[in-house]
Amino acid sequence: MRRILKKGIEHKKARWGWFFVLPSMAFFAVFSFYPIVNALYTSLFRKRLLSLRPPTFIGLENYEYLLKSPDFWNSIKATFIFTLGTFIPILVFSLLLAAFIMSRKRFQKFFQMAFYSPAVLSSVVAAAIWLLILDPRGLANMGANFLLGTKGVDYKWLASANMVRFSTILVYFWKYIGYFTIIYITGLASIPQSLHEAAKIDGASGWKDFWHITIPLLKPTTVLVSIMSMLQCLKTFSTQYLFTQSGAPLEPINVITLNIYNTAIRDHNIGRASAMSIILFIIMLFFTWLQFKASRSGGEVDYM
Amino acid sequence: MKIIKGQSLLVDVIIWALLIATALLILSPIVFMFTASLMPARDIVKMPYRWIPEELYLDNYAQAIRGNDGSYIYPRNILNSFIVAGLVSVTTVLLSALTGYGLAKFPFKGRNLVFLLIMATMMIPFEAIMIPLYLVATSLNIQNTYIGLILPFLTNAFGIFLMRQYLITFPDEILDAARIDGSGELSIFWRIILPNSAPAVATLAILTFRSQWDNLLWPLLISQSEEMKTIPLYIVKFAMEKHTNEGAMMAAASIASIPILILFITLSKYFVSGASLYSSRKG
Repeated sequence: MRRILKKGIEHKKARWGWFFVLPSMAFFAVFSFYPIVNALYTSLFRKRLLSLRPPTFIGLENYEYLLKSPDFWNSIKATFIFTLGTFIPILVFSLLLAAFIMSRKRFQKFFQMAFYSPAVLSSVVAAAIWLLILDPRGLANMGANFLLGTKGVDYKWLASANMVRFSTILVYFWKYIGYFTIIYITGLASIPQSLHEAAKIDGASGWKDFWHITIPLLKPTTVLVSIMSMLQCLKTFSTQYLFTQSGAPLEPINVITLNIYNTAIRDHNIGRASAMSIILFIIMLFFTWLQFKASRSGGEVDYM
Repeated sequence: MKIIKGQSLLVDVIIWALLIATALLILSPIVFMFTASLMPARDIVKMPYRWIPEELYLDNYAQAIRGNDGSYIYPRNILNSFIVAGLVSVTTVLLSALTGYGLAKFPFKGRNLVFLLIMATMMIPFEAIMIPLYLVATSLNIQNTYIGLILPFLTNAFGIFLMRQYLITFPDEILDAARIDGSGELSIFWRIILPNSAPAVATLAILTFRSQWDNLLWPLLISQSEEMKTIPLYIVKFAMEKHTNEGAMMAAASIASIPILILFITLSKYFVSGASLYSSRKG
């Protein structure tokens, strides 16, 4: 009798469980899984936006075209320059800033807030502010001239190929450094105080403690920050879009997302844009897989 | 907590100086936005830059709202941003709480698979599916509507994960007691679960609002008329104009930033907990 009752309750619970998860599952089916499958399918067709002709099946031709296209390789190059150029400095500086903040007894909260504030602004607003700062007559030239001891030199922040790459990196670095600083602070706070005390008793200096205790124990946070910032950078769009829309050269900052957008919306080439989307998806899957692998093999740290 | 032990006064002073200098550097572009929004265009490029405007030049704000020829409808675009970000926050919180609750408290066959599938959607970047989504929106004929702007963002894996983690430790005794008292499952969710998840709900609502306030790509694809544009599209329009008034552009950017900065200053702990949540993602 009791068992039957219990079984009845479990059955009822299971039904409610499904009831609660079903709306979201239906949502993901339509707005996540279907589109990615659809992108894969469309990437095998010659398909044009607004065209009345039915799409023609062309197999892997879109991919073949892309792999031979200098324009596509330029996008890969632009994306990777941006990603590496952004996430490595973010990794180093957010760790340093977090350590500095944690070493203070006062104003920790204030510094966290100050560093984090650009991250709450819209990326379009951030890009618009920097557009003016990087203007030939703007603050960036003034600051650079002051620091480098030059006079009246225009550093062409938004005009020369390398400088415009550097400028997009600068905007991103500025916007997200505080975000990752906070993640590092959480990581630092989770290291038991007793370990630092033990190191102190053993005679380790502040820097030795930092190098031999803090950094190794922070490995899970470092893995997390690298992958998160890398994935974030691979998806960058707004800054590059706004900069090119206001006249910066396209080629050096034609990142994959911008290329997908232009190929689909400006050139109406849906098939090719889909193939590019799938390649972006695969690149990001690879990095996510790398994260799992890295966090499995010694990513977990045992404090004991 | 000491990570770098202050070995001497010198080290201490250097660290303070570095922190203060970094804070000033990081804040200066934001200060620049607000001060430039209060200056005539010629003063913005006058060197050295005046960090304190001599007079409050409010014409920029008038121009940001109306445009040079009075044809801009910034207030409407701001309203759109509030509507879209507000509605998306509500649906995200409700759907994520519902699903997170189901995953946390109701054992059913295939629950782990469902959870895994939801987490897998985190790996599908919006940028890779925007074109198919755009085609879906066109075939449903919802481009240029609020429904179209909202539909792809009704909920997300991060929100579900957040709610599940939060609710997994919720005491079962309370739920069972409510059941014995004869409460239905939906009323338990509405009257017990939702009110008791306030911190998680607040974090999720704020993060969702912020990310929708920031959304450029999707409105760029489906908002066609000026009436359906959101703030980011309006700023892009400003930046694209050849002889744009820099002061008015910064005024538009300031208006776009004030609501989100007020949220940040008053509710900063939710922003911070949202950021640090990622580091406990493994749980």
